[in-house]
Amino acid sequence: MTMNNITVKKDEFLGESYTKICHKSGLDVYVFPKKLTTTFALFATKYGSIDNKFKVKGSEETIEVPNGIAHFLEHKLFDNEDGTDTFSRYAETGANANAFTSFDKTAYLFSCTENFEESLEILLDFVTKPYFTEKSVQKEQGIIGQEIKMGEDNPARCLFFNLLSAMYESHPVQISIAGTVDSIAKIDAELLYKCYNTFYNLHNMVLCVCGDVDCDTVISVCDRVLKQAEECDIKRVFDDEPNCVQKKRISAKMQIAKPLFEIGVKDNNIPKEPFERLKKATGMAVLNEMMFSKSSKIFNDLYNEGLITSNFDYGYSISESFAFLELSGEADDPETVYGRIKTYIEDQQKAGLDRKEFERAKKVVYADFIKIFDNTEEIAYELMSYLFEDCDLFDYARAVRVLGFDDVSKLLGEMFDDSFFAMSTVFPV
Amino acid sequence: METVKISDGIFLNVISTDKFKTNYLSINFITQLDKKTASLNALLPEVLVRGTQKHKDIPALKTALDDLYAASVEGKVFKRGDYQICGLNASWLADKYSIDGTRITEGTLDLFEEILFMPYTEDGHFSDTYVESEKNDLIDDIRALINNKNSYAVIRCKEEMCKNERGGISEYGDEESVRNITSEALYDAYQDLLRTSRIEVFYVGSGSKADIQARIEKMFAGKNRSYKAFEKSPVITEVGEVKNVTEKMSAAQGKLALGFRTGSVVGGEDYSAFPVFVEMFGNSPVSKLFMNVREKLSLCYYCRAIPDGIKGIMTVTAGIEVCNKEKTQNEILAQLDAVKNGDITDEELILSKKSLKNAYNELNDSPPALEGWYLTRRLSDLGDSHEKVCESFMKVTREDVIRVANKIKLDTVYFLEGTLSGEGDDDE
Repeated sequence: MTMNNITVKKDEFLGESYTKICHKSGLDVYVFPKKLTTTFALFATKYGSIDNKFKVKGSEETIEVPNGIAHFLEHKLFDNEDGTDTFSRYAETGANANAFTSFDKTAYLFSCTENFEESLEILLDFVTKPYFTEKSVQKEQGIIGQEIKMGEDNPARCLFFNLLSAMYESHPVQISIAGTVDSIAKIDAELLYKCYNTFYNLHNMVLCVCGDVDCDTVISVCDRVLKQAEECDIKRVFDDEPNCVQKKRISAKMQIAKPLFEIGVKDNNIPKEPFERLKKATGMAVLNEMMFSKSSKIFNDLYNEGLITSNFDYGYSISESFAFLELSGEADDPETVYGRIKTYIEDQQKAGLDRKEFERAKKVVYADFIKIFDNTEEIAYELMSYLFEDCDLFDYARAVRVLGFDDVSKLLGEMFDDSFFAMSTVFPV
Repeated sequence: METVKISDGIFLNVISTDKFKTNYLSINFITQLDKKTASLNALLPEVLVRGTQKHKDIPALKTALDDLYAASVEGKVFKRGDYQICGLNASWLADKYSIDGTRITEGTLDLFEEILFMPYTEDGHFSDTYVESEKNDLIDDIRALINNKNSYAVIRCKEEMCKNERGGISEYGDEESVRNITSEALYDAYQDLLRTSRIEVFYVGSGSKADIQARIEKMFAGKNRSYKAFEKSPVITEVGEVKNVTEKMSAAQGKLALGFRTGSVVGGEDYSAFPVFVEMFGNSPVSKLFMNVREKLSLCYYCRAIPDGIKGIMTVTAGIEVCNKEKTQNEILAQLDAVKNGDITDEELILSKKSLKNAYNELNDSPPALEGWYLTRRLSDLGDSHEKVCESFMKVTREDVIRVANKIKLDTVYFLEGTLSGEGDDDE
């Protein structure tokens, strides 16, 4: 049997370190010691709503599964063969358990202040022991149906997914994570097993633990529960996606107070190399801070003229297969706001960025990063996110340090072609 | 948490700890909810963070905060029971993370004081431009409450239930009162608040208690105070005929909110048993509501109980198919009756205590959560630590839980009837 391979990563300035254990089962385990009361554990697979087309081992056939199945699977893993419910098992230890599904990952987690070892054993056990029956699948269709309808009543969610569907032609990021009432009606136990067996391979998963715990405890639970995983061979299938947006505008009506807008800037220029992607993420964080924060000219002009409310947000997301920038807010006249933002960007491109502003923005991005390290949940979550991107959490600080003024100026020059822009709006009924 | 009196009606609550990389400071101006002042108190924090005498507008303030490594100072307003609480929250990085020698703590405390006591004024009152702009923003916030249907149902249920009580007033006041505010009136309200309100300051972070105390004392030195402790509103425990309110809205789901009078208030007799009851009844994934309304009957995705321990009320809420309203309401009430009739196991009692204990322990890791918990206690003039209160839960018996459950009475049923019934609800 192979041995566990152990390495330690440190960041002297932050005063933090963590240990990576390549567990003999095939699972990568990360233990981040933190002297806080709450210990947080997160067991995740690199599998989310976008992984709806794939090939299984030994077959060249592309399987397409119903939308929302990754999220459905997340719900159903909480059932156990002996009829017990996982939440009841956790209740015995006092741990606070939950799970979530995103575009590209599914995570099972708990926080606890005592009985860590017992809770970790439950976590590793239930996620590695699927048990689905047609009856339990049916029962869940009612519950998730209500979760979907709750989502349909959420205007920010409607705004966001409409925007994604306007920006993307084929990429599955535009599909609602929980699917629709119709799509989940097509899910059965057999399909759930097919997805489970493909993506819940320990080689495609990580365990991140943060808190006042030691590696030996974590390793001993892994030794007890985890079996050696088979070789992992996942082929995800994504169709080609054009650079420009599919539709410039998309609009919906809901019972809300004031029209909502979300402007998207599609970015198909995604670096293959993980650290380059990370550098782009930090560059965009700095550029956004310079261009759109509460100290920016555009926010203050629009706010002082009463064209937008104080709820004005911006963000940039990047992963292996999709990236976009979004600007959202409330406005009686979204078209005017759209026009003003476009003009503002063109003016900035002509005038160029300010070096002092660049230094200020860098400071903000750096400080926001340090603030992650006060919370075991955030640390475990961020650790996992970076790992699935083939990066390391501490790389972020490095990426901020090496980021130059010219890098950010270059982003300003290449990000904002008119063909990349789309806007989603929700108007009151 | 250590509490010291700074001045008449002003208290400082401190936890001195090095375990966080950020420090946290918050000031709470506490008043009784009142139709005449609610909108003024809601508007004030937003106008304060618009600018100071030295940093005259949003960009100037934001840039000053950014220079302090993205320190934040934000306005807030919320309510607890019959109280309205407005004020400022600040957080900033500990000095050791400064790369260029900036003294972050000192700078942020100075800026905090500046925002609080040296607002930007014109002709002896707030700037008309800022006041008008923030009035519009507040009106937008009030109107936007319907955007979130889940929380809107709970707000409306409490509003209907507490119609003639202080607690039924919104923490934002109402649109018309906001519209009528002048910059002079707001400035007067600001002076009143500084002079007469109960003030609770919370600090969680590095440095000694003595240092932060000295700094806060300096902030309030020479400030005129005429504080009068307010009388507590009576707690209503009786209900008349159940009030039924249904409102139609363009939504996919129905949102049900049941309002109860609990007869249990923070610091009152039996209060140790009430949180144990809530946990068991509707606040955990093994609670009666979750296990039955969701897991057994598949009626909803969420169904939970939200207690207000100051007012002695509880709201139970769920998002459901419109056609399942009666069925869901009956099941929620049946589960409450089950507890009342003693249909609870020792196992349920033990699990509820474990879950509460975990939640109380977790408070230690979140300064805002600690503040939230202690603020409720301070409002009821109770001094026990959260650890000690948690110990008292562990002694609660089955009989105690059954007794507090039997005090609970249904007062109001609010239903937000979604009118967009989509396909797929033909399963009934």
